[in-house]
Amino acid sequence: MESQQRIEAVSRFLLQSPPGEINDVLNDVRNIISDDDSLQEGVLPALREYNLAQFITADVPGHNHQSIISDSAKVTNLSGAGDTDEVLDRFWDPRSRTSFRFDHISLEASEPEPIEPDAASEPFRAALEASSLSYLTAHFHDGVASVFPAQGFASRFYIQIVANKYNPSNFWSGRWRSEYIIDLEEKQLKGKILVNVHYYEQGNVQLSTTHTVELPLPPTIVPSSAASSASKVLAVIEVEEEMGEKTFKGLRRALPMTRSKLDWDKVLGYKLGAELTSSRGVMSAS
Amino acid sequence: MADLVDSMLDLMRRLPPTQVEENVASLVAMCPDYADDLLGSVDQPLKIMTDRATGKEYLACDYNRDGESYRSPWSNEYDPPLEDGTVPSSRLRKLEITANEAFDTYREMYYEGGVSSVFLWDLDDGGFAGVVLLKKVLNAASSTEPSGSWDSIHVFEAAERGRQAHYKLTSTVMLQMTDRAITASEGKESRDSDKPDAKREGEVVLSGSMTRQSEQDLPLHDQASHISNTGRMVEEMEIKMRNLLQEVYFGKTRDIVYDLRSIDDLEKARRQRELQKELVGFIKR
Repeated sequence: MESQQRIEAVSRFLLQSPPGEINDVLNDVRNIISDDDSLQEGVLPALREYNLAQFITADVPGHNHQSIISDSAKVTNLSGAGDTDEVLDRFWDPRSRTSFRFDHISLEASEPEPIEPDAASEPFRAALEASSLSYLTAHFHDGVASVFPAQGFASRFYIQIVANKYNPSNFWSGRWRSEYIIDLEEKQLKGKILVNVHYYEQGNVQLSTTHTVELPLPPTIVPSSAASSASKVLAVIEVEEEMGEKTFKGLRRALPMTRSKLDWDKVLGYKLGAELTSSRGVMSAS
Repeated sequence: MADLVDSMLDLMRRLPPTQVEENVASLVAMCPDYADDLLGSVDQPLKIMTDRATGKEYLACDYNRDGESYRSPWSNEYDPPLEDGTVPSSRLRKLEITANEAFDTYREMYYEGGVSSVFLWDLDDGGFAGVVLLKKVLNAASSTEPSGSWDSIHVFEAAERGRQAHYKLTSTVMLQMTDRAITASEGKESRDSDKPDAKREGEVVLSGSMTRQSEQDLPLHDQASHISNTGRMVEEMEIKMRNLLQEVYFGKTRDIVYDLRSIDDLEKARRQRELQKELVGFIKR
């Protein structure tokens, strides 16, 4: 296989990594490829794509909180400049008005610089942020929330939430991601919740749920989003339980239709009886 | 390089089970020298084939494969036809026929449909080994109906020891389920107004594989005892694994989701605890 194709295959593996296991996947592919130089350079685009899509968090330099790395967090959204190499990996944290460089391999933020938000949208953004943070404290054990203004729209905002729990000693990991686009002009909320769970004790079991919602905006925005979030969680659980009732039972009954285990001697008896009359006692040999 | 195979297997343990076929194919393309090690150790969904002679469906896996051909348990023929394909000894083939009939009954009782196949082969030490395969696919009648598939692969070895036989069973269950829910309207009133309705769509995909092993010594009255013995072991195992999968899917995953996000207000609970602490301190004073 050509080196380029190998990198492409490896990149596909990386993008499929379960929550908190990208380093394990990276170690596996390092061993399989055994060419660190071409790997390191080749997989950077995949790591970048993974980090942005998975809402990986960064410790904001000089501050005591974390911020989400995502498409909405790119500084280019603020400056309107194109994705040059120089600014490609610079992200910003509106909460502390800090921009920083993010290393997609070490997941570390560096080179902090102060950054000024768009004056027109900042007051409402800040209000959304405050409400989001108190919502986060109320419902997430260990979550991070960031609120970003949308480039070119003074009345459009992104609320992003991520929560992770990794428990490798008990063979499971989980990630919750949610994103809401709030458009004051269109008076609309669009949201999506993504939950991934990996359980791998003597096996590999994965759950992936997607929940999307589109709502006309009620006059009060964040409280409504909080309430509907809660009902969305319930919808996810409801779907799961509904499936528990329907799909699982449809696939395989807990017990046979007779509601008792099979009598294997009888199962054999019937078949053997037929067999014995048609041939010559096939089972009595040896 | 056992190391390399370990890395491949570790990778397969982490990547989504829904992608197992594509991922195994690209690993094989990357490291063709280890194709056999990988294909022999990673369970993939069973393929359904149709016996040309009887028209009956059977399952294809590595255990009934010879070259590019698969042997049917019903006619004992290879498809595409092979002149000198490996077949069990005539004594074992007789047992195989009976085992296929017995597990066909088992399949009907538990799965109400689906396909089953049993394949046996002779071992060098005089014993024999076999695999019991079961598969059921649930196709969605509409886009909002759940769909899914269940594959089980039970590989066993039987060693006769006088009036007893020792069995080693390794069972793998692969499960895949997709459920979708779409709710679009909020009732007629909101439709009359110019405000759009709330639209919600949900999709849950559960997929996975699990492997468990068991060993047992069981009495052997005659050759047919092998079928009832392995039948009971397979039945026990499937019940156990079904419960285990149910527990993981509907208990464990929900616990983890609750661990990420709480429905109850955590801040309230924290305040309550603070208050309790204060009270305790107050009483102690």
